[in-house]
This record gives sequence, structure tokens and C-alpha cells, in this order.
Amino acid sequence: MIFFTLEHILTHISFSIVSIVITIYLISLSVDEIIGLYDSSEKGMIATFFCITGLLVTRWIYSGHFPLSNLYESLIFLSWSFYIIHMVPYVKKHKNYLRAITAPTTIFTQGFVTSGLLTEMHQSEILVPALQSHWLMMHVSMMVLGYAALLCGSLLSVALLVITFRKVLRIFSKNNNFLNDSFSFGEIQYMNERNNVLLSPSFFSSRNYYKAQLIQQLDHWGYRIISLGFIFLTIGILSGAVWANEAWGSYWNWDPKETWAFITWTLFAIYLHTRTIKNLESVNSAIVASIGFLIIWICYFGVNLLGIGLHSYGSFNLH
Amino acid sequence: MESLHSINRLNPSLPRTLFIPCNAQIHSLCNRNRALHFRVSCKLKSSLDARKNAKLVSQKILLSEKVPPPLAEEKGDLAGDGGEEAGKSGRGGGVGLVKRFSRRVLAVLSNLPLAIGEMATVAALMALGTVIDQGEAPGFYFQKYPEENPVLGFFTWRWVLTLGFDHMFSSPIFLGMLALLAASLMACTYTTQIPIVKVARRWKFMSSPEAIRKQEYSDTLPRASIEDLGVILMGAGYEVFLKGPSLYAFKGLAGRFAPIGVHLAMLLIMVGGTVSAAGSFRGSVTVPQGLNFVIGDVLGPSGFLSTPTEAFNTEVHVNRFYMDYYDSGEVSQFHTDLSLLDLSGKEVMRKTISVNDPLRYGGITIYQTDWSFSTLQILKDDEGPFNLPMAPLQINGDKKLFGTFLPTGDDDSPKVKGM
Repeated sequence: MIFFTLEHILTHISFSIVSIVITIYLISLSVDEIIGLYDSSEKGMIATFFCITGLLVTRWIYSGHFPLSNLYESLIFLSWSFYIIHMVPYVKKHKNYLRAITAPTTIFTQGFVTSGLLTEMHQSEILVPALQSHWLMMHVSMMVLGYAALLCGSLLSVALLVITFRKVLRIFSKNNNFLNDSFSFGEIQYMNERNNVLLSPSFFSSRNYYKAQLIQQLDHWGYRIISLGFIFLTIGILSGAVWANEAWGSYWNWDPKETWAFITWTLFAIYLHTRTIKNLESVNSAIVASIGFLIIWICYFGVNLLGIGLHSYGSFNLH
Repeated sequence: MESLHSINRLNPSLPRTLFIPCNAQIHSLCNRNRALHFRVSCKLKSSLDARKNAKLVSQKILLSEKVPPPLAEEKGDLAGDGGEEAGKSGRGGGVGLVKRFSRRVLAVLSNLPLAIGEMATVAALMALGTVIDQGEAPGFYFQKYPEENPVLGFFTWRWVLTLGFDHMFSSPIFLGMLALLAASLMACTYTTQIPIVKVARRWKFMSSPEAIRKQEYSDTLPRASIEDLGVILMGAGYEVFLKGPSLYAFKGLAGRFAPIGVHLAMLLIMVGGTVSAAGSFRGSVTVPQGLNFVIGDVLGPSGFLSTPTEAFNTEVHVNRFYMDYYDSGEVSQFHTDLSLLDLSGKEVMRKTISVNDPLRYGGITIYQTDWSFSTLQILKDDEGPFNLPMAPLQINGDKKLFGTFLPTGDDDSPKVKGM
């Protein structure tokens, strides 16, 4: 019983902190940046991270198995990995270009999970026989980490596309401050030092120097995160195949979930290959990665909605 | 002041007194494999005015990490222009023709946009394979994609059956696309990746400032010392080579070898998949407790390379089948106690298998996959037992539903058990 209440408390604490944090982020996006708020929002994210870790550990101890057996638990794990991705640049360098993207993703995922849509799945359930294997930890955790990293990377690519074609789309027509607000203070100092930089002529020779800077940063970070996610996805698919051989006798049945994971893998392989072509490598690869965003959600959620096949543990009904 | 001397020797154009090695900070901006560049910000203090001339100079420097053009210059690069070999003539006309043809084919196959197109086609076919239900009888497709009312305006069952979309993952169009992808992989590895390994281990110094300025990222630092630059780079993890007044540094050589490893691994997987698809046996059987079956009877070949082995004559006897339950009543695991008997009836192996724990014997693996009802035995007072065969009914999802037919006059009574 104590575990139930503990879980309850942790869920509510994390969700409320996270709602406050997202309010702070939204304020700082539309108004000029206030450094005190920035620090406190980062601390809020760290606090929420510990809450979610506590939640996962509690479920693990209480149910006796690794907390990844149904859709609810895997979504909590997904938001946990978003927190990790959000915090890694902050810990390493104390400035975080990506927080405008990763933080809302975390928040929305967690909000969706703890909302009232899926309450019947909140109880921890027992493992069906096919899931009682040590491979569960490695395969599913690698897949979810891979999805998280690839989702962040594809969101960064979408951001890159939006900013590149800003004039065409006329979305952010209000003020130029929007671009600067995505930077932390360190970034602005860093750029002030670059007085004599010769930018490559393949960038557009726009008078908006900061825009070109931002695009290059997004491109660079997107590439690194997608590469990391690609590695995790590969390991996840391979370990899934080996587990399938142990459990069902063949390495690869063309199960919908497996097939869509393979399609995701193929698409991000196309992304990596597109980056080797010199002309417009940032824009073309960003288009590919943006398609990847949709495909990952189809793979993760859409297949579960069908509820068929060997991977049907994640199915649920929306009442 | 030793350093000054060496500097003067190397850069005789600089004035003698003013130059002092600087304290530098490095921000590594970008580490691509092709061209690396980073920013060095130095504080220059002249010996004459200690305070006035402290300036913050930061510039971006080019280091040519780009792979030097290969010496033989005989193959196409990744951007895809087919490199014909110049100047090599075949000995006889026929041999030369075959060689030229194979080189053309290689050049076409290792074209990168073609490979991207192939990957995209494979992905699209796979997506289509999940949308269209696989493995159903043709009548299903007549009903689902009728000719009078085609899906999307043109997609009828003729498309599905002629193109083999009902068994997409073994259809010729899909397998042909995979084979083409494998051929592209092999061609690309042979023509581009392996030479890059040979070339990346050499380094080529660019001898003139004009050559450096023509690179994609280049800059000039007019008052820097080249040895300090070397030291800074080594501190940042580069491997530095100094020759006279020029410097060559690179970082991340492992990134050159990694694609080769990945492509070879994928080729190996494809070869393994082909071998097992062409040369293996698989089958499944539902055996009630207490009965036997012979292994060779239930396995069917999957391709033309399959040959049965001696172990196929073994007989399998099901001693016992039981299930474990959780406290809530759900199934936790199912177990089957099997013993393997050879031709003479002697027991050669006995093991209890469960879902993630198969039995392996002589190259054959027996898995516990599922359970079902085979018959329902009804005892009525002193008559019986009556055996009613049960069959699984189709239902969405993982639940099981079995039905049987109890002939009491004209009624049917299905028995339902959920899991």
C-alpha cells in the first residue's frame, strides 16, 4: 500500500513541477530572458527528473520486474529518457541550446501519460510468459532510448526547416527577438568574440548572422543526437532479433512492429547518407528527419492501436 | 628564447621582436570528418607595451583534414560520377570489353542517390506490406479491394495479386529490391570505402597558401606560431604532423573505418538470411499430453537447399504439460516435459521446456510457443467419454476463443474460455 501512495505522490509532484517549468519556458520565449528564471527552471527539471526516477524505481521494486511491460510504463520511460537528453548538454557545458525543444517534449509526453486517458493502465501488471526474459531490459530500454533520441533530433530538424524557410512561411513574423531568446547568455558572449569569422559561402549570405549561426547549431546538434539515437535503435533491433530467436524460433517475423522499426531504421540510414552529399546537406537531411518524426510515432503508437501481432502488449482502448 | 629562434627560422617574414607565443583557449566548434575547423582565441601581448596591446584575437583556422585525392584517380566518388579508368587497355578485345562493362556496372551501382532511392523503395514496400493483410486467401482480396469500387481510385485486387503484395515479404519485387540493395552495398564497399582506408592513412601537405584558401573553411592567422598551433591541436586530440612550414592534423580517423564495418555487417546479415531462408526447416505441431510425434514428419523445408539430417528420425514424447499461475489467476508460464527417443526407443534427452527456454538437440530446436485446446472430453453419467474436437476462433488481439459443436438435436453450444 505504501508503494501506491508513494507512486501517487511522485506522479503528482513531478507533474506539477513540470507544469510550472513549462510556464516559465513559455514566458521566457515571448519575453526577454531573465537569468534567475532560467536557473530555477533548470532546477525544476532536475527535481522532476529525480521524481520520475523515483517513480520508475518504485514500480520496479513493487512489481518485481523491470518497469517496461506495458504502454504506460514505456511512456514513463520515454519521458525519463527525454529528461536525460535534456540534461546532458546542461551538465556538460552549462548552457543548453536544446531546451526549447526537449523540455516541451518531455512535458507533453509525461502529461499525456499521467492524464486521465489511460488510467486503467496505471496499475502495475504481471508479465506474460513471453516477456519473462532477461532480454526485456536490454531490448525495450534500447528501443525507447533510441526513439527518444531520434524524436529530439527530428524535432531539431523541423525547427531548422521552419527557421530556414521563415520568410516563406511567415510564421514568426512578430519580432527578431524570438531568435535571440533561444540562446542562453553564454551563447551571446560566445558570438561576440567571433569578429573575424569567415563563414562558408554555402550558407546564405544573409544579413541575419544570428540566423545562420542558429541554423548551423541546430544542424550540428541534430546530427549528433540522431547518430546517437541511430546507434541505440540498431542495438535495440538486433537484441530484439536475438530474443525472438530464443523465444519463437526465428530471428525476424515480419510483425508490424518489427517492420515499422525497420522502416524507421532505414529512414534514418537515408538521413545519414544524405548528409554525405555536399550540396544543401542541412536542408535535405532535415527534410528526411522531419518525415522520421511521423514515422516514429506510427511505429511506437500506431502499431499498438491495431493490437495485433506478436507485440500486442502495448495495445490499449481509448474509451 | 629558443622558441623565437625556431620561429624565425620557419617564418622569416615576421619581425623579430614582437612575436611571443600566446596563451590560447580552444573552442572546438565542429568536428566533421571532412574538414575540421576550430576557433583559437589568443591573447597577444607585446613585450613593449604590456597593457595596451592586450587584444583578444580569435580566428577560425583551417586544417586540411579532407582526404587527399587518391593517387590513382580511377574510381567514382560518393557524389556519383562514374569514373572510367583512363589509359588501361585490355589485352584482348573481349577481355577488355568485359572489364569495361564490369567497371561501368560497378560505377552505376555505387552511385549514392541510387542507393538512397533503393532504401526508400524498400521502406515504402515494407510499409505497404503492413497495411495490406498478408497471407490471406484470394477471396479476401476480392472482397477488400473490389474492382467496382477501388481503393484510392485505382487499387484493386489485380494489383495485389499480380504484384505479389499478399505475400509481400517473399514476393519477387521485394526480394529483387533487397538483392539490388545488396549489390549496391557490395559495389560501394569495393569502389569507395576500401580505397578510402588506403588513402586516409597517407597525408598530403598543401604547399601553397592559395591551395589552402580554396578550401571550404579557411582562415589566416598572421601572427601565430606554427609549433604552438601544433601543441594546441595535440591538446585538443588531433594527430599532428609537421613538415617544414606546414602542418597537417586530423582527428577522428575511426570514422573512416566505421562505415566499412557497418556495410560488411549488413552484407553478412543478408547472406545469413538468404542461407537460412533457402536451407532450413520449420514446422509447428500441437500435441496433447501423452502422445508422440516424429520430428521429421512435422518439419517442412523452406527452400531448395534444405536437406534433412539424421536427427529427423527422433521421436518426441510429451510426458506432461502444465501451466503456472499467478495469484490473480493469469497464466505465468507454460511448461512441457519432453523426452526424445531415438529409433530404438531409448531415451536420449529429457527436458522441460517453457516459453523462453527451448530444447536443442542435434541441430534441431524445439520451442514452446503456445497452447490450445485440442479436444473437450465430456463424461455423462456412465456413458462416454465423448471427445469433441475444438478449434480456435478468429478474434482480434491476443485473447483466445475456442468453439466446439455439441450435437444435441439442432443446437450448437460454444464454450468460451478467455485468457
